[in-house]
Amino acid sequence: MRKNWIKKTSAAVLGLILTGSLLAGCGSGSGTAAQGADEPQAQETEAEAAGTEAADAAENENAGFRTLEEIQASGKITIGVFSDKSPFGYVDENGEYQGYDVYFGNRIAQDLGVELEYVSTEAASRIEYLQTGKVDIILANFTVTPERAEEVDFALPYMNVALGVVSHNDRVITDLSQITADDQVIVISGTTAETYLTKNNPEIKLQKFDTYATAKSAFENGTGVAWANDNTEVIAFAAENEGYTVGIDSLGSADTIAPAVTKGNETLLNWLNEEIVKLGEEKFFHADYEATLVDTYGPEFEETLVVEGGGQAAAPAQN
Amino acid sequence: MELLRWDVIVSYLPLYRDAMFLTLRIGWAGIAAAIGLGFVCALIRHYRIPVLQNIVGIYIELFRNTPLLVQLFFLYFGLPKIGLEIPAEPCGVLGLALLGGAYMAETFRSGLEAVEPIQMESALSLGMSRQQAVLHVILPQAVSISVPAFVANVIFLLKETSVFSAISLMDLMFTAKDLIGLYYKTLECLTLLVVFYLIILLPVSALGSILERRLRYAGFGD
Repeated sequence: MRKNWIKKTSAAVLGLILTGSLLAGCGSGSGTAAQGADEPQAQETEAEAAGTEAADAAENENAGFRTLEEIQASGKITIGVFSDKSPFGYVDENGEYQGYDVYFGNRIAQDLGVELEYVSTEAASRIEYLQTGKVDIILANFTVTPERAEEVDFALPYMNVALGVVSHNDRVITDLSQITADDQVIVISGTTAETYLTKNNPEIKLQKFDTYATAKSAFENGTGVAWANDNTEVIAFAAENEGYTVGIDSLGSADTIAPAVTKGNETLLNWLNEEIVKLGEEKFFHADYEATLVDTYGPEFEETLVVEGGGQAAAPAQN
Repeated sequence: MELLRWDVIVSYLPLYRDAMFLTLRIGWAGIAAAIGLGFVCALIRHYRIPVLQNIVGIYIELFRNTPLLVQLFFLYFGLPKIGLEIPAEPCGVLGLALLGGAYMAETFRSGLEAVEPIQMESALSLGMSRQQAVLHVILPQAVSISVPAFVANVIFLLKETSVFSAISLMDLMFTAKDLIGLYYKTLECLTLLVVFYLIILLPVSALGSILERRLRYAGFGD
Protein backbone atom coordinates (compact mmCIF):
# COMPACT_ATOMS: atom_id res chain seq x y z
CA MET A 1 0.00 0.00 0.00
CA ARG A 2 2.63 2.45 1.14
CA LYS A 3 5.02 1.75 -1.74
CA ASN A 4 2.17 2.28 -4.12
CA TRP A 5 1.36 5.62 -2.59
CA ILE A 6 4.92 6.83 -2.88
CA LYS A 7 5.04 5.76 -6.49
CA LYS A 8 1.91 7.73 -7.22
CA THR A 9 3.22 10.83 -5.49
CA SER A 10 6.53 10.78 -7.24
CA ALA A 11 4.74 10.29 -10.53
CA ALA A 12 2.58 13.31 -9.79
CA VAL A 13 5.59 15.43 -8.84
CA LEU A 14 7.44 14.35 -11.94
CA GLY A 15 4.41 15.18 -14.03
CA LEU A 16 4.22 18.62 -12.49
CA ILE A 17 7.88 19.32 -13.17
CA LEU A 18 7.54 18.11 -16.74
CA THR A 19 4.50 20.29 -17.37
CA GLY A 20 6.38 23.21 -15.90
CA SER A 21 9.42 22.78 -18.09
CA LEU A 22 7.20 22.21 -21.11
CA LEU A 23 5.48 25.52 -20.45
CA ALA A 24 8.85 27.16 -19.96
CA GLY A 25 10.04 25.77 -23.28
CA CYS A 26 7.03 27.06 -25.15
CA GLY A 27 7.26 30.49 -23.58
CA SER A 28 10.92 31.13 -24.24
CA GLY A 29 10.54 29.74 -27.75
CA SER A 30 7.90 32.23 -28.77
CA GLY A 31 9.85 34.91 -26.89
CA THR A 32 12.94 34.52 -29.05
CA ALA A 33 10.85 34.28 -32.17
CA ALA A 34 9.28 37.61 -31.38
CA GLN A 35 12.63 39.14 -30.60
CA GLY A 36 14.16 37.91 -33.82
CA ALA A 37 11.49 39.63 -35.84
CA ASP A 38 11.68 42.71 -33.69
CA GLU A 39 11.88 45.50 -36.22
CA PRO A 40 9.13 44.66 -38.68
CA GLN A 41 6.88 43.49 -35.91
CA ALA A 42 7.11 46.79 -34.06
CA GLN A 43 5.79 48.65 -37.07
CA GLU A 44 3.13 46.08 -37.65
CA THR A 45 1.94 46.30 -34.08
CA GLU A 46 1.55 50.01 -34.32
CA ALA A 47 -0.48 49.74 -37.48
CA GLU A 48 -2.52 46.95 -35.98
CA ALA A 49 -3.05 48.68 -32.67
CA ALA A 50 -6.24 50.46 -33.66
CA GLY A 51 -7.76 47.33 -35.12
CA THR A 52 -6.73 45.07 -32.26
CA GLU A 53 -8.09 47.45 -29.72
CA ALA A 54 -11.52 47.23 -31.21
CA ALA A 55 -11.25 43.46 -31.44
CA ASP A 56 -10.08 43.29 -27.84
CA ALA A 57 -13.01 45.37 -26.74
CA ALA A 58 -15.41 43.07 -28.51
CA GLU A 59 -13.74 40.05 -26.95
CA ASN A 60 -13.82 41.58 -23.49
CA GLU A 61 -17.48 42.30 -23.66
CA ASN A 62 -18.45 38.95 -22.17
CA ALA A 63 -15.69 38.39 -19.64
CA GLY A 64 -13.87 41.64 -18.80
CA PHE A 65 -16.44 44.31 -18.12
CA ARG A 66 -20.03 45.41 -18.36
CA THR A 67 -21.02 48.15 -20.77
CA LEU A 68 -23.22 51.07 -19.78
CA GLU A 69 -26.25 49.32 -21.27
CA GLU A 70 -25.55 46.13 -19.39
CA ILE A 71 -25.20 48.00 -16.13
CA GLN A 72 -28.45 49.85 -16.70
CA ALA A 73 -30.23 46.66 -17.73
CA SER A 74 -29.03 44.85 -14.61
CA GLY A 75 -30.23 47.75 -12.46
CA LYS A 76 -27.12 47.76 -10.31
CA ILE A 77 -23.63 49.26 -10.45
CA THR A 78 -20.61 48.07 -8.48
CA ILE A 79 -18.06 50.67 -7.42
CA GLY A 80 -14.73 49.95 -5.72
CA VAL A 81 -13.84 52.40 -2.94
CA PHE A 82 -11.59 52.47 0.08
CA SER A 83 -13.15 51.57 3.39
CA ASP A 84 -10.33 52.76 5.64
CA LYS A 85 -9.24 56.05 4.16
CA SER A 86 -10.96 58.94 5.84
CA PRO A 87 -12.04 61.44 4.58
CA PHE A 88 -12.04 60.07 1.01
CA GLY A 89 -13.54 56.65 1.36
CA TYR A 90 -14.35 55.09 4.72
CA VAL A 91 -17.05 53.30 6.63
CA ASP A 92 -18.61 55.40 9.35
CA GLU A 93 -19.84 54.27 12.77
CA ASN A 94 -23.19 53.28 11.27
CA GLY A 95 -21.55 51.01 8.70
CA GLU A 96 -22.27 53.45 5.87
CA TYR A 97 -19.67 54.34 3.26
CA GLN A 98 -18.72 58.02 3.48
CA GLY A 99 -16.19 60.45 2.02
CA TYR A 100 -15.30 62.55 -0.99
CA ASP A 101 -15.12 59.57 -3.38
CA VAL A 102 -18.28 58.04 -1.98
CA TYR A 103 -20.23 61.29 -2.31
CA PHE A 104 -19.41 61.17 -6.03
CA GLY A 105 -20.20 57.45 -6.24
CA ASN A 106 -23.65 58.00 -4.76
CA ARG A 107 -24.34 60.64 -7.40
CA ILE A 108 -23.20 58.36 -10.22
CA ALA A 109 -25.66 55.67 -9.18
CA GLN A 110 -28.42 58.23 -8.74
CA ASP A 111 -27.89 59.71 -12.22
CA LEU A 112 -27.65 56.28 -13.82
CA GLY A 113 -30.86 55.35 -12.02
CA VAL A 114 -29.48 52.10 -10.70
CA GLU A 115 -28.86 50.48 -7.35
CA LEU A 116 -25.42 50.87 -5.87
CA GLU A 117 -23.04 48.37 -4.34
CA TYR A 118 -19.72 49.44 -2.87
CA VAL A 119 -16.83 47.01 -2.79
CA SER A 120 -13.97 47.71 -0.40
CA THR A 121 -10.58 47.63 -2.15
CA GLU A 122 -6.95 47.86 -1.12
CA ALA A 123 -4.53 50.13 -2.94
CA ALA A 124 -2.64 47.30 -4.60
CA SER A 125 -5.70 45.47 -5.89
CA ARG A 126 -7.53 48.38 -7.56
CA ILE A 127 -6.37 47.47 -11.06
CA GLU A 128 -7.14 43.79 -10.52
CA TYR A 129 -10.70 44.56 -9.54
CA LEU A 130 -11.25 46.33 -12.86
CA GLN A 131 -9.37 43.85 -15.01
CA THR A 132 -11.32 40.91 -13.66
CA GLY A 133 -14.61 42.79 -13.96
CA LYS A 134 -15.37 42.52 -10.25
CA VAL A 135 -16.28 46.21 -10.15
CA ASP A 136 -17.56 48.56 -12.86
CA ILE A 137 -15.77 51.69 -11.62
CA ILE A 138 -12.90 52.33 -9.22
CA LEU A 139 -13.39 55.49 -7.19
CA ALA A 140 -10.69 54.74 -4.64
CA ASN A 141 -8.69 57.97 -4.73
CA PHE A 142 -6.94 56.62 -7.79
CA THR A 143 -4.06 58.82 -8.98
CA VAL A 144 -3.65 58.98 -12.75
CA THR A 145 -0.21 57.72 -13.85
CA PRO A 146 1.04 56.67 -17.29
CA GLU A 147 1.75 53.12 -16.05
CA ARG A 148 -1.73 52.73 -14.68
CA ALA A 149 -3.26 54.27 -17.81
CA GLU A 150 -1.83 51.33 -19.75
CA GLU A 151 -3.85 48.93 -17.63
CA VAL A 152 -7.12 50.80 -17.10
CA ASP A 153 -8.97 53.73 -18.65
CA PHE A 154 -9.18 56.91 -16.60
CA ALA A 155 -12.09 59.32 -16.94
CA LEU A 156 -11.73 63.07 -16.40
CA PRO A 157 -10.13 64.04 -13.07
CA TYR A 158 -12.06 65.29 -10.05
CA MET A 159 -9.23 66.10 -7.66
CA ASN A 160 -5.60 67.27 -7.56
CA VAL A 161 -2.91 65.46 -5.65
CA ALA A 162 0.86 65.32 -5.10
CA LEU A 163 2.95 63.27 -2.72
CA GLY A 164 3.67 64.33 0.84
CA VAL A 165 5.81 63.13 3.71
CA VAL A 166 4.69 63.32 7.33
CA SER A 167 7.07 62.77 10.24
CA HIS A 168 7.13 62.86 14.02
CA ASN A 169 7.42 66.30 15.62
CA ASP A 170 10.70 65.44 17.35
CA ARG A 171 12.39 64.82 14.02
CA VAL A 172 10.70 66.58 11.15
CA ILE A 173 11.85 65.44 7.73
CA THR A 174 11.80 68.41 5.38
CA ASP A 175 13.93 66.87 2.68
CA LEU A 176 14.43 63.29 1.55
CA SER A 177 18.21 63.71 1.98
CA GLN A 178 17.68 63.80 5.77
CA ILE A 179 16.66 60.16 5.68
CA THR A 180 19.67 58.02 6.61
CA ALA A 181 20.47 54.46 5.67
CA ASP A 182 19.20 53.26 9.07
CA ASP A 183 15.84 54.92 8.71
CA GLN A 184 12.74 53.36 7.30
CA VAL A 185 9.96 55.17 5.51
CA ILE A 186 6.46 53.76 5.66
CA VAL A 187 4.52 53.40 2.42
CA ILE A 188 1.38 51.57 1.45
CA SER A 189 1.88 48.83 -1.11
CA GLY A 190 0.48 49.77 -4.51
CA THR A 191 0.41 53.56 -4.03
CA THR A 192 2.06 56.27 -6.12
CA ALA A 193 4.32 57.07 -3.15
CA GLU A 194 5.74 53.56 -3.30
CA THR A 195 6.27 53.75 -7.06
CA TYR A 196 7.87 57.18 -6.82
CA LEU A 197 10.32 56.27 -4.06
CA THR A 198 11.17 52.90 -5.62
CA LYS A 199 11.97 54.63 -8.88
CA ASN A 200 13.60 57.88 -7.76
CA ASN A 201 15.06 57.12 -4.33
CA PRO A 202 15.91 53.41 -4.34
CA GLU A 203 18.40 53.99 -1.50
CA ILE A 204 15.60 54.75 0.95
CA LYS A 205 14.48 51.70 2.87
CA LEU A 206 10.74 51.28 2.62
CA GLN A 207 8.58 49.52 5.12
CA LYS A 208 5.51 48.41 3.26
CA PHE A 209 2.05 47.84 4.61
CA ASP A 210 -0.91 46.55 2.69
CA THR A 211 -3.65 48.72 4.14
CA TYR A 212 -4.00 52.32 5.20
CA ALA A 213 -5.13 51.23 8.65
CA THR A 214 -2.05 49.07 9.37
CA ALA A 215 0.33 51.72 8.04
CA LYS A 216 -1.33 54.28 10.30
CA SER A 217 -1.12 52.05 13.40
CA ALA A 218 2.53 51.24 12.72
CA PHE A 219 3.43 54.89 12.22
CA GLU A 220 1.64 55.85 15.44
CA ASN A 221 3.58 53.13 17.24
CA GLY A 222 6.80 54.79 16.18
CA THR A 223 7.73 52.50 13.31
CA GLY A 224 9.52 54.43 10.57
CA VAL A 225 10.86 58.00 10.64
CA ALA A 226 8.34 59.18 8.10
CA TRP A 227 5.29 58.15 6.16
CA ALA A 228 5.08 58.96 2.44
CA ASN A 229 1.67 59.04 0.85
CA ASP A 230 -0.65 61.30 -1.14
CA ASN A 231 -0.24 64.79 0.31
CA THR A 232 -3.98 65.03 0.90
CA GLU A 233 -3.72 62.07 3.21
CA VAL A 234 -0.65 63.11 5.15
CA ILE A 235 -2.11 66.60 5.63
CA ALA A 236 -5.33 65.01 6.88
CA PHE A 237 -3.35 62.68 9.14
CA ALA A 238 -1.31 65.51 10.69
CA ALA A 239 -4.46 67.60 11.13
CA GLU A 240 -6.30 64.80 12.91
CA ASN A 241 -3.46 63.51 15.07
CA GLU A 242 -1.29 65.40 17.57
CA GLY A 243 2.46 65.28 17.31
CA TYR A 244 3.00 65.02 13.57
CA THR A 245 4.19 67.52 10.99
CA VAL A 246 4.02 67.41 7.22
CA GLY A 247 7.65 68.31 6.46
CA ILE A 248 7.33 67.81 2.70
CA ASP A 249 3.95 68.75 1.30
CA SER A 250 4.64 68.42 -2.40
CA LEU A 251 6.95 65.76 -3.76
CA GLY A 252 7.16 64.59 -7.34
CA SER A 253 4.84 65.83 -10.03
CA ALA A 254 1.39 67.26 -9.46
CA ASP A 255 -1.08 64.58 -10.40
CA THR A 256 -4.80 64.20 -10.62
CA ILE A 257 -7.27 61.72 -9.26
CA ALA A 258 -9.89 60.29 -11.56
CA PRO A 259 -12.43 57.48 -11.78
CA ALA A 260 -11.15 54.42 -13.63
CA VAL A 261 -12.97 51.81 -15.68
CA THR A 262 -11.82 48.56 -17.27
CA LYS A 263 -9.62 49.09 -20.32
CA GLY A 264 -11.81 49.44 -23.39
CA ASN A 265 -15.10 50.09 -21.60
CA GLU A 266 -15.83 53.08 -23.78
CA THR A 267 -19.55 53.45 -23.19
CA LEU A 268 -19.10 53.74 -19.45
CA LEU A 269 -16.02 55.96 -19.85
CA ASN A 270 -17.86 58.38 -22.13
CA TRP A 271 -20.82 58.50 -19.82
CA LEU A 272 -18.55 59.28 -16.85
CA ASN A 273 -16.78 62.06 -18.76
CA GLU A 274 -20.09 63.63 -19.74
CA GLU A 275 -21.29 63.26 -16.17
CA ILE A 276 -18.19 64.99 -14.76
CA VAL A 277 -18.50 67.88 -17.22
CA LYS A 278 -22.20 68.19 -16.47
CA LEU A 279 -21.62 68.14 -12.72
CA GLY A 280 -19.16 70.99 -13.18
CA GLU A 281 -22.02 73.28 -14.13
CA GLU A 282 -23.61 72.84 -10.74
CA LYS A 283 -20.24 73.00 -8.92
CA PHE A 284 -20.83 69.50 -7.67
CA PHE A 285 -17.28 68.80 -6.51
CA HIS A 286 -17.16 72.03 -4.54
CA ALA A 287 -20.30 70.86 -2.78
CA ASP A 288 -18.62 67.49 -2.32
CA TYR A 289 -15.58 69.18 -0.75
CA GLU A 290 -17.76 71.21 1.56
CA ALA A 291 -19.67 68.13 2.62
CA THR A 292 -16.74 65.79 3.18
CA LEU A 293 -13.33 67.45 3.20
CA VAL A 294 -13.81 70.91 4.71
CA ASP A 295 -13.65 69.61 8.28
CA THR A 296 -10.21 68.19 7.64
CA TYR A 297 -8.59 70.68 5.32
CA GLY A 298 -10.51 73.87 5.98
CA PRO A 299 -11.77 76.17 3.24
CA GLU A 300 -8.27 77.31 2.17
CA PHE A 301 -7.48 74.05 0.35
CA GLU A 302 -10.73 73.99 -1.62
CA GLU A 303 -9.42 75.53 -4.83
CA THR A 304 -6.14 73.61 -4.62
CA LEU A 305 -7.75 70.21 -4.31
CA VAL A 306 -11.00 70.36 -6.26
CA VAL A 307 -11.04 69.86 -10.00
CA GLU A 308 -14.41 70.91 -11.38
CA GLY A 309 -15.87 69.57 -14.61
CA GLY A 310 -12.64 67.72 -15.43
CA GLY A 311 -11.30 71.26 -15.84
CA GLN A 312 -7.59 70.68 -15.72
CA ALA A 313 -7.68 67.56 -17.84
CA ALA A 314 -5.43 69.25 -20.38
CA ALA A 315 -2.64 69.78 -17.85
CA PRO A 316 -1.45 66.20 -17.32
CA ALA A 317 -1.73 65.51 -21.05
CA GLN A 318 0.90 68.15 -21.70
CA ASN A 319 3.40 66.52 -19.39
CA MET B 1 0.05 36.78 -27.41
CA GLU B 2 2.28 35.12 -24.89
CA LEU B 3 0.63 33.82 -21.78
CA LEU B 4 3.57 34.63 -19.52
CA ARG B 5 6.35 37.18 -19.98
CA TRP B 6 9.51 35.23 -19.19
CA ASP B 7 11.77 38.28 -19.04
CA VAL B 8 9.48 39.66 -16.34
CA ILE B 9 9.60 36.39 -14.43
CA VAL B 10 13.38 36.31 -14.57
CA SER B 11 13.66 39.88 -13.34
CA TYR B 12 11.41 39.09 -10.37
CA LEU B 13 13.31 35.95 -9.34
CA PRO B 14 15.76 37.68 -6.93
CA LEU B 15 12.88 39.33 -5.08
CA TYR B 16 11.07 36.03 -4.73
CA ARG B 17 14.29 34.35 -3.62
CA ASP B 18 14.73 36.93 -0.85
CA ALA B 19 11.13 36.49 0.14
CA MET B 20 11.57 32.72 0.21
CA PHE B 21 14.57 33.05 2.51
CA LEU B 22 12.59 35.32 4.79
CA THR B 23 9.70 32.86 4.82
CA LEU B 24 12.09 30.00 5.56
CA ARG B 25 14.01 31.94 8.20
CA ILE B 26 10.90 32.92 10.11
CA GLY B 27 9.23 29.61 9.35
CA TRP B 28 11.99 27.41 10.71
CA ALA B 29 12.77 29.56 13.72
CA GLY B 30 9.08 29.69 14.57
CA ILE B 31 8.55 25.99 14.00
CA ALA B 32 11.63 24.98 16.01
CA ALA B 33 10.38 27.08 18.91
CA ALA B 34 6.89 25.66 18.42
CA ILE B 35 8.19 22.09 18.66
CA GLY B 36 10.03 22.81 21.90
CA LEU B 37 7.07 24.67 23.35
CA GLY B 38 4.60 22.04 22.21
CA PHE B 39 6.67 19.21 23.62
CA VAL B 40 6.90 20.79 27.06
CA CYS B 41 3.21 21.70 27.05
CA ALA B 42 2.23 18.18 26.00
CA LEU B 43 4.23 16.62 28.84
CA ILE B 44 2.74 19.06 31.32
CA ARG B 45 -0.77 18.27 30.22
CA HIS B 46 -0.29 14.52 29.90
CA TYR B 47 1.29 14.08 33.32
CA ARG B 48 -1.17 16.57 34.84
CA ILE B 49 1.36 18.77 36.58
CA PRO B 50 -0.73 20.94 38.92
CA VAL B 51 -1.28 24.66 38.16
CA LEU B 52 0.96 24.49 35.09
CA GLN B 53 -1.53 22.24 33.31
CA ASN B 54 -4.25 24.85 33.78
CA ILE B 55 -2.06 27.60 32.39
CA VAL B 56 -1.08 25.44 29.44
CA GLY B 57 -4.72 24.54 28.87
CA ILE B 58 -5.71 28.20 28.66
CA TYR B 59 -2.77 28.95 26.37
CA ILE B 60 -3.63 26.13 23.99
CA GLU B 61 -7.30 27.04 23.73
CA LEU B 62 -6.49 30.73 23.28
CA PHE B 63 -4.03 30.22 20.44
CA ARG B 64 -5.77 27.35 18.69
CA ASN B 65 -9.02 29.28 18.51
CA THR B 66 -7.80 32.61 17.19
CA PRO B 67 -6.41 33.22 13.69
CA LEU B 68 -2.69 33.90 13.30
CA LEU B 69 -3.56 37.23 11.72
CA VAL B 70 -5.27 38.35 14.91
CA GLN B 71 -2.35 37.14 17.04
CA LEU B 72 0.14 39.02 14.86
CA PHE B 73 -1.94 42.18 14.98
CA PHE B 74 -2.02 41.91 18.74
CA LEU B 75 1.71 41.32 19.04
CA TYR B 76 2.72 43.95 16.51
CA PHE B 77 0.15 46.71 16.88
CA GLY B 78 -1.29 45.97 20.32
CA LEU B 79 1.75 45.44 22.54
CA PRO B 80 3.47 48.76 21.65
CA LYS B 81 0.48 50.51 23.21
CA ILE B 82 1.58 49.14 26.56
CA GLY B 83 5.20 49.96 25.83
CA LEU B 84 6.40 46.57 24.61
CA GLU B 85 7.75 47.03 21.14
CA ILE B 86 8.84 44.01 19.10
CA PRO B 87 10.27 44.46 15.58
CA ALA B 88 8.41 42.80 12.74
CA GLU B 89 10.61 39.76 12.24
CA PRO B 90 10.85 38.55 15.86
CA CYS B 91 7.14 39.28 15.99
CA GLY B 92 6.54 36.86 13.12
CA VAL B 93 8.68 34.19 14.77
CA LEU B 94 6.90 34.68 18.08
CA GLY B 95 3.47 34.55 16.48
CA LEU B 96 4.30 31.37 14.62
CA ALA B 97 5.90 29.79 17.71
CA LEU B 98 2.87 30.52 19.88
CA LEU B 99 0.35 29.31 17.32
CA GLY B 100 2.50 26.30 16.40
CA GLY B 101 3.21 25.49 20.06
CA ALA B 102 -0.50 25.12 20.74
CA TYR B 103 -0.98 22.78 17.79
CA MET B 104 2.18 20.80 18.47
CA ALA B 105 1.19 20.35 22.12
CA GLU B 106 -2.06 18.73 21.13
CA THR B 107 -0.32 16.57 18.54
CA PHE B 108 2.29 15.26 20.98
CA ARG B 109 -0.32 14.78 23.67
CA SER B 110 -2.46 12.64 21.41
CA GLY B 111 0.69 10.63 20.68
CA LEU B 112 1.40 10.20 24.38
CA GLU B 113 -2.17 9.17 25.05
CA ALA B 114 -2.11 6.62 22.25
CA VAL B 115 0.59 4.62 24.02
CA GLU B 116 -1.20 1.88 25.98
CA PRO B 117 -0.88 2.06 29.80
CA ILE B 118 0.39 -1.52 29.68
CA GLN B 119 3.63 -0.23 28.18
CA MET B 120 4.32 1.82 31.27
CA GLU B 121 3.30 -1.01 33.58
CA SER B 122 5.52 -3.48 31.74
CA ALA B 123 8.48 -1.11 31.84
CA LEU B 124 8.02 -0.57 35.57
CA SER B 125 7.71 -4.28 36.23
CA LEU B 126 10.99 -4.82 34.39
CA GLY B 127 12.63 -2.65 37.02
CA MET B 128 12.87 0.63 35.11
CA SER B 129 12.35 3.83 37.01
CA ARG B 130 9.43 6.00 35.99
CA GLN B 131 11.82 8.44 34.38
CA GLN B 132 13.55 5.69 32.42
CA ALA B 133 10.22 4.29 31.30
CA VAL B 134 9.06 7.65 29.99
CA LEU B 135 12.36 8.35 28.26
CA HIS B 136 13.03 4.93 26.70
CA VAL B 137 9.61 3.37 26.28
CA ILE B 138 6.82 5.93 26.18
CA LEU B 139 8.37 8.89 24.36
CA PRO B 140 9.86 6.99 21.40
CA GLN B 141 6.47 5.45 20.70
CA ALA B 142 4.54 8.66 21.28
CA VAL B 143 6.79 10.63 18.95
CA SER B 144 6.56 7.99 16.26
CA ILE B 145 2.76 7.95 16.50
CA SER B 146 2.55 11.72 16.17
CA VAL B 147 4.84 12.02 13.13
CA PRO B 148 2.10 12.24 10.46
CA ALA B 149 0.17 14.90 12.36
CA PHE B 150 3.45 16.62 13.17
CA VAL B 151 4.41 16.88 9.49
CA ALA B 152 0.93 18.19 8.68
CA ASN B 153 1.46 20.86 11.36
CA VAL B 154 4.79 21.91 9.89
CA ILE B 155 3.26 22.34 6.44
CA PHE B 156 0.31 24.19 7.92
CA LEU B 157 2.61 26.57 9.80
CA LEU B 158 4.76 27.28 6.74
CA LYS B 159 1.64 28.14 4.80
CA GLU B 160 0.41 30.37 7.60
CA THR B 161 3.39 32.66 6.94
CA SER B 162 1.34 34.09 4.08
CA VAL B 163 -0.44 36.42 6.50
CA PHE B 164 2.82 38.13 7.51
CA SER B 165 2.14 40.92 5.03
CA ALA B 166 -0.11 42.40 7.71
CA ILE B 167 2.96 43.30 9.78
CA SER B 168 4.95 44.51 6.78
CA LEU B 169 7.18 41.44 6.39
CA MET B 170 8.08 40.92 2.74
CA ASP B 171 7.23 37.23 2.63
CA LEU B 172 6.29 35.46 -0.61
CA MET B 173 2.65 36.49 -0.52
CA PHE B 174 3.38 40.17 0.15
CA THR B 175 6.13 40.25 -2.47
CA ALA B 176 3.68 38.97 -5.05
CA LYS B 177 0.96 41.42 -4.02
CA ASP B 178 3.43 44.29 -3.92
CA LEU B 179 4.83 43.56 -7.38
CA ILE B 180 1.32 43.31 -8.78
CA GLY B 181 0.60 46.72 -7.29
CA LEU B 182 3.79 48.18 -8.74
CA TYR B 183 3.90 46.71 -12.22
CA TYR B 184 0.54 44.96 -12.79
CA LYS B 185 2.01 41.68 -14.08
CA THR B 186 -0.55 39.62 -12.25
CA LEU B 187 -0.26 36.23 -13.90
CA GLU B 188 3.55 36.18 -13.72
CA CYS B 189 3.54 37.17 -10.07
CA LEU B 190 0.95 34.60 -9.07
CA THR B 191 2.64 31.82 -11.05
CA LEU B 192 5.93 32.55 -9.31
CA LEU B 193 4.10 32.56 -5.99
CA VAL B 194 2.75 29.05 -6.56
CA VAL B 195 6.11 27.77 -7.78
CA PHE B 196 8.00 29.17 -4.80
CA TYR B 197 5.54 27.78 -2.26
CA LEU B 198 5.93 24.39 -3.92
CA ILE B 199 9.72 24.72 -3.77
CA ILE B 200 9.43 25.21 -0.03
CA LEU B 201 6.70 22.73 0.74
CA LEU B 202 7.20 19.75 -1.57
CA PRO B 203 10.52 18.78 0.09
CA VAL B 204 8.85 19.04 3.48
CA SER B 205 6.10 16.68 2.35
CA ALA B 206 8.62 14.26 0.89
CA LEU B 207 10.79 14.39 3.99
CA GLY B 208 7.70 13.83 6.07
CA SER B 209 6.76 10.62 4.33
CA ILE B 210 10.32 9.30 4.63
CA LEU B 211 10.36 10.19 8.33
CA GLU B 212 7.02 8.50 8.76
CA ARG B 213 8.31 5.25 7.24
CA ARG B 214 11.56 5.24 9.20
CA LEU B 215 9.99 5.97 12.57
CA ARG B 216 7.16 3.48 12.37
CA TYR B 217 8.05 1.29 15.32
CA ALA B 218 5.25 2.01 17.71
CA GLY B 219 2.20 -0.11 18.29
CA PHE B 220 4.02 -3.32 19.10
CA GLY B 221 1.59 -6.11 19.89
CA ASP B 222 -1.44 -4.49 18.22
